[in-house]
Amino acid sequence: MEGLFFNVNGGYVEGIVRGYRNSLLSGQNYSNLTQCETIDDVKLQLAPSYGDFLASLPPNPSTSDLAGRMMDKLVSEFKYLTAQATGSSAEFLEYMKYGYMIDNVALLITGTLHGRELKPLLERCHPLGWFETLPALISATNIEELYNIVLIETPLAAYFKDSLSHQDLDELNIEIVRNTLYKNYLEDFHHFITTHPDFRGSPTQDVMAEILQFEADRRSINITLNSFGTDLSKSERANLYPQIGKLYPEGNYMLGKADDVEGVALAVSAVADYKAFFDAVGLSQGGGLGGMGGGPADGKSLEDLFYQKEMELSKLIFTRQFTPAVVYGWMKLKEQEIRNVTWISECIAQNQKERIGNFISVF
Amino acid sequence: MSGAVGREAVFPTRQSLGLMKNKLKGAEIGHSLLKRKSEALTKRFREITRRIDEAKQKMGRVMQIAAFSLAEVSYAVGGDIGYQIQESAKQARFRVRAKQENVSGVLLPSFESYTQDGVNDFGLTGLGKGGQQIQRCRETYARAVETLVELASLQTAFLILDEVIKVVNRRVNAIEHVIIPRTENTIKYINSELDELDREEFYRLKKVSGKKKRDVAAADAAILAARQRAAEEQAANPEAASKAPPAKEEESTDVLGENEDNDVIF
Repeated sequence: MEGLFFNVNGGYVEGIVRGYRNSLLSGQNYSNLTQCETIDDVKLQLAPSYGDFLASLPPNPSTSDLAGRMMDKLVSEFKYLTAQATGSSAEFLEYMKYGYMIDNVALLITGTLHGRELKPLLERCHPLGWFETLPALISATNIEELYNIVLIETPLAAYFKDSLSHQDLDELNIEIVRNTLYKNYLEDFHHFITTHPDFRGSPTQDVMAEILQFEADRRSINITLNSFGTDLSKSERANLYPQIGKLYPEGNYMLGKADDVEGVALAVSAVADYKAFFDAVGLSQGGGLGGMGGGPADGKSLEDLFYQKEMELSKLIFTRQFTPAVVYGWMKLKEQEIRNVTWISECIAQNQKERIGNFISVF
Repeated sequence: MSGAVGREAVFPTRQSLGLMKNKLKGAEIGHSLLKRKSEALTKRFREITRRIDEAKQKMGRVMQIAAFSLAEVSYAVGGDIGYQIQESAKQARFRVRAKQENVSGVLLPSFESYTQDGVNDFGLTGLGKGGQQIQRCRETYARAVETLVELASLQTAFLILDEVIKVVNRRVNAIEHVIIPRTENTIKYINSELDELDREEFYRLKKVSGKKKRDVAAADAAILAARQRAAEEQAANPEAASKAPPAKEEESTDVLGENEDNDVIF
């Protein structure tokens, strides 16, 4: 029944996204890419899906240029989708943008804190996190003004209001600010898809709740792991954990108490998926911090496994119908694709072919 | 001075001969010392060249690894963290200390790197994701910078040593090819001048003695003539004491002989 009227408003967007999905690079494409000798070859291989956007690149472009163009394509497609979406789908797409907005606002906060010229920073902002009033932020001269402008002008006001004051912006590390915002954002997004009348009880709720919970858990785990050896206190750390996800509340509580990698492994052991990840990278046997980055036997790090999982969840979204969540899945897949291509071309450019297979492909 | 190797403008005296001889001795000692210094420096120079070669190759490898770890970061973070890191780094964690090393009188600066462990300005970067990659990338780059610092100190030593070796070699050559020959020339010149003076003196004395002889002969002749006149006058008057002048003549030849002896001694 839930799909009965979906196509009235959301059908076109969903159809378009399913079309976009077909242009995602497949395993075959990736294996062709890894055979390339030069960036030009990579460019050639990408031509079917990125043709027009790569055409204007000079011969042998830098990997960042290449990634920039691919991102341009993603952005323009996403913009088209937002322009077409109406009603609750449009709202959903707005929510997707908030994550990038947080990054942009954090960037501007960093610039303001250090008294930099903010205009050049606008160019560095992520295009997906662009909103109309973003340029208004650069008029701020001190952090208090900026705080007020953020509250008035940006959609992120709700995330700032309850958990951060303008003194906090001054005193706290920007990473803490960013992660606080992100926590609020995840919770809000989760709240949105579970309570909005259009989505409640729909496939959207099913898939998005799962993926957002996963995202929340991943952040909690990462924050904990990355905070070892820094001056982030345990209570501050605990405040950054989103209060959703499979780990909430017991797992989060244990993460908050964790002192080392084994503590984290213990905290996540209640969830089979994460336990499997930790076992796979050998952290639960006391591998120590040293082996965390890339030590494990098959060359996969915890981060890689999380990405893998995220991609699988995103792929699963396409098994559902009548939901704007496909846009979310498509975007995550596309971002991963850009990262993969960047990685591959970086390996080619630097002549380090032995780890070229370290990308994540789910198709 | 005429030509590349002339002689110094000195008066050819015995005193300056002594000075010149001292100078020659000094130049020879200096030459051998400088030669040894130059050899020591050259040895060091070769060693540094070898180490630069090693350091450069090492740098190539390390920089490659570092660049690759940066690629890993951009893969894990999925965005540009450059700006954030630039802004949050306030204190240098990796520092360089300069020392001086003395190699046969040449002061070579050498840089020593050390890390300020307390400083960890962007420790929280990538808290949400990619933090481990960022930390690892930082460590890799710290190692790369270490290699760069080592290379920098070697290169500086290389340049300074190069300059110093050139100067020392120039000095060695100057002493060997200019100062020593010139001093030798001067000594030769002084010696020849002194010999010349000796010969002149000898000749002069000979002349003097010859003239004296002539004078004496003339005086003798005059006396003889006077005596003869007197004898003739005496012959005209009473004849007496005509034996004395020949005795006197003999005395005067004795004096001449003595003079000659003196000359020889002199």
